[in-house]
Amino acid sequence: MINIIVCVKQILDPEMPPGKFKIDPESNKVIPPEGIPLVVSPFDEQAVEAALRIKEQCGAKITVVTVGESSAVNAVKHSLAMGADEGIVVEHIIEGYDSLLTAYILTKAIEEIVAYDLIICGREAADWGSGQVGSIIAESLGIPVVARTRKIEVMDSRLKVEHIIEDGDESLELPMPAVITVSYEIGQARIPTGWGVISAARKKIPSWSLEDIGVDLSQIGDTSSRIKLLKLFTPTRERGCQIIEGKTAAEAAANLALRLREAKVI
Amino acid sequence: MEPTKFDAVVAGAGPAGCAAAYALAKAGLEVLVIERGKFPGAKNMFGGMLCGSVLAQLIPNFWEEAPLERYITRHVITFLSREDSFSIDFQSPSFGKPPYNGYSVLRAKFDKWLAGKVEEAGAIIVPGLLVEDLLWDGNQVVGVKAGGEDFPASVVIAADGVNSLLAQKAGLAEELSTEYVSLGVKELIQLPSEIIQERFNLEDDEGVTQLFDGFCTRGMHGGGFLYTNKESLSLGIVIQLSALRRMGVKPADLLEEFKSHPGVRNLIKGGTVEEYSAHLVPNAGINKVPMLYKDGFLVVGDAAGLVLTTGITLDGASFAFASGMAAAETVKLAKQNGDPSRKTLCNYEKLLKESFVLRDLETFKHSQFFLDNPRLYTTYPELICNLSRGLFTNDGKPRKRLWQLARTEMGRQKLSILHVAVDGFLGRRAI
Amino acid sequence: MNSMSLEDKLALNKYDIDEELHISVNEDICRTCRNRVCLHICPAECFKLLGEKITYSYEGCLECGSCRLACSKGAINWTYPRGGFGIAYQYG
Ligand SMILES: Cc1cc2nc3c(=O)[nH]c(=O)nc-3n(C[C@H](O)[C@H](O)[C@H](O)COP(=O)(O)OP(=O)(O)OC[C@H]3O[C@@H](n4cnc5c(N)ncnc54)[C@H](O)[C@@H]3O)c2cc1C
Ligand code: SF4
Ligand code: SF4
Repeated sequence: MINIIVCVKQILDPEMPPGKFKIDPESNKVIPPEGIPLVVSPFDEQAVEAALRIKEQCGAKITVVTVGESSAVNAVKHSLAMGADEGIVVEHIIEGYDSLLTAYILTKAIEEIVAYDLIICGREAADWGSGQVGSIIAESLGIPVVARTRKIEVMDSRLKVEHIIEDGDESLELPMPAVITVSYEIGQARIPTGWGVISAARKKIPSWSLEDIGVDLSQIGDTSSRIKLLKLFTPTRERGCQIIEGKTAAEAAANLALRLREAKVI
Repeated sequence: MEPTKFDAVVAGAGPAGCAAAYALAKAGLEVLVIERGKFPGAKNMFGGMLCGSVLAQLIPNFWEEAPLERYITRHVITFLSREDSFSIDFQSPSFGKPPYNGYSVLRAKFDKWLAGKVEEAGAIIVPGLLVEDLLWDGNQVVGVKAGGEDFPASVVIAADGVNSLLAQKAGLAEELSTEYVSLGVKELIQLPSEIIQERFNLEDDEGVTQLFDGFCTRGMHGGGFLYTNKESLSLGIVIQLSALRRMGVKPADLLEEFKSHPGVRNLIKGGTVEEYSAHLVPNAGINKVPMLYKDGFLVVGDAAGLVLTTGITLDGASFAFASGMAAAETVKLAKQNGDPSRKTLCNYEKLLKESFVLRDLETFKHSQFFLDNPRLYTTYPELICNLSRGLFTNDGKPRKRLWQLARTEMGRQKLSILHVAVDGFLGRRAI
Repeated sequence: MNSMSLEDKLALNKYDIDEELHISVNEDICRTCRNRVCLHICPAECFKLLGEKITYSYEGCLECGSCRLACSKGAINWTYPRGGFGIAYQYG
């Protein structure tokens, strides 16, 4: 049996109606839409799913960690309901795009958990999409990392993984402990069962402060200053409609092809 | 060992289910609430006014923390003819002191908050799960089936709202008939709070309810409503489903027509629609309340048709809270006696008969019949509007006295004194 | 306020759409139906007449249950969508 840690993040529901997504151009911040609850980033749900599959395959204890406001406990509960064993909330609100700080806090939390053979993260957070946290954690812990993994197998103390590269897949073997970020192709995350939710509700979920895990923000300096968000905006979409004429269907098709070439679409 | 059987499983986290679960959890019983919405409130819509007095019995001073929109200090009733409108307007600052008389509420937020209180009290809520069936042991209900899993319980409380598939499955309720439900369609219209306050003559958090009778339903049994929220208006119409079915009118078209009426248009001017919703509401009152219990099973709230409609009030939430609380009392008793059979559960009906729930419905048992009278939605609103127009018209012709105007108008509406007398009698009996 | 099309209104709502249909119509019964109340009763206008055939699209459904009650022929096989799916009101 191995110990797996999964990092999850609570985000704005990416499925919310596009019209509800509003930003404040003054402060470069997203205005939280009223009435739409936060959800676990779907890519992180897939990370939990990957861990659960390993658990089913060879037994594992899965601990879920999240950094966020106190309501992030819901992200942990959701993961427990899916089948994870333990969960921890580190209470601290981070600007979403500050991957370095996120990874630093997670690393400290992981060191506090002590026992880990495998750390799984989602491909990227579905809100800011930086996709850096997993790699930074690995670097900080000094262990190997494979990104965009579509399949994970545990063989004794080694991992066999398939990861996606530009023009195909790559099979790799690596020792544990290691960090894996899973790709979308790992497959759909399961929906929690009713009894899963019930046992998650009955669990006590510890909440750690930065102090508890020995993070001193004044020591690490202003990580956010390393990245500067220049402009946050919603792209304007323009839609138009043109009817391509032609005496025959073939002629219309030829004209269409011509137009598409002109527009450099093909 | 963690318990695998609950003292009560509640199907539905609306006001009725939450009230029951809250009271039970507070008393230390093991309670599970199963809600099909992604979160409690996700499936729920109502017009807009919550009367707080019953909820205050359960959660004292709830107004200090609940997500309420505005407390209602002004009530307007408006009669509409094709173009004109005539309003009765009552405003009282005395409604603006705790415990307030009523609040405008948005269900997605309010129900979520209430369910949070239920969890705090110690019950477990599983959202995103649909109760599909009941578990039986002979004639006794012994739990529910949801998402393919079994959830055993001593008592199942069906709080699953107006389309209560569970009360039907338990053999207590028949299939609803279109005469006994109304369809409500509503738009949530965003508007800055300053504009709302100015437009509706309100201070700070004060709010108004406005009910419309007449042209907005094209003569069908029903009416229009407008409630002010903090930064939005809830605007909609409620129409008896059988009338809608007969008339062949599309509810969405009717709502657009309502919005463009001169008496309504300017109230919503400058607003942006944020949501469009629809929901049924029971309207038969006491006449269609089903059997309320059987072995291991209780029905509460809309699922039992416990809604009061008098034409001036539409109150379902208080009835949902009160019936939920009565159900909780009964389940506590069942736990004490170790007997969840009908012998104990019949106590639920007794409690409802003693409380305002069945008493109010009994008092207003004739209102359904009265409200079915088409003259209420055509003749009278038009009469009132036309009379007023007559009174206020300055056209250089000799003026008529009110009585003369009324006579002419009644003639035009083919309304006899007898009609008025009969309707007056029925109305007195009904409301 | 300008009048708005129903499609635009429904597009404001939040739905989590399941691949599973929760409502279906029995075409054989519909063929014998003359009043076709489903075409007008539905507040989301989910029922459409395509040629001679009644078609149903469930994506905009508000789960009110009106169609189930209004179709007196029992041609509509109606259930709620799977838990967590379907309409999710943000105001309600
Ligand atoms: C247009 C309109 C206007 C109204 N205006 C007012 C008003 O101004 N004031 C007022 O007091 N009342 C009003 N009402 C009535 C009021 O909304 C209801 O009476 C009240 O909500 C009833 O509460 P309930 O808990 O019984 O049912 P609901 O609030 O309907 O709750 C039922 C819950 O059960 C869930 N559920 C259903 N089936 C299942 C299942 N199988 N498994 C799991 N969960 C399930 C639903 O998702 C829902 O959350 C109005 C109703 C309508 C439609
Ligand atoms: S669904 Fe019902 S109302 Fe609609 S066409 Fe079929 S039988 Fe008629
Ligand atoms: S349940 Fe309501 S919204 Fe859905 S299809 Fe039927 S009538 Fe239309």
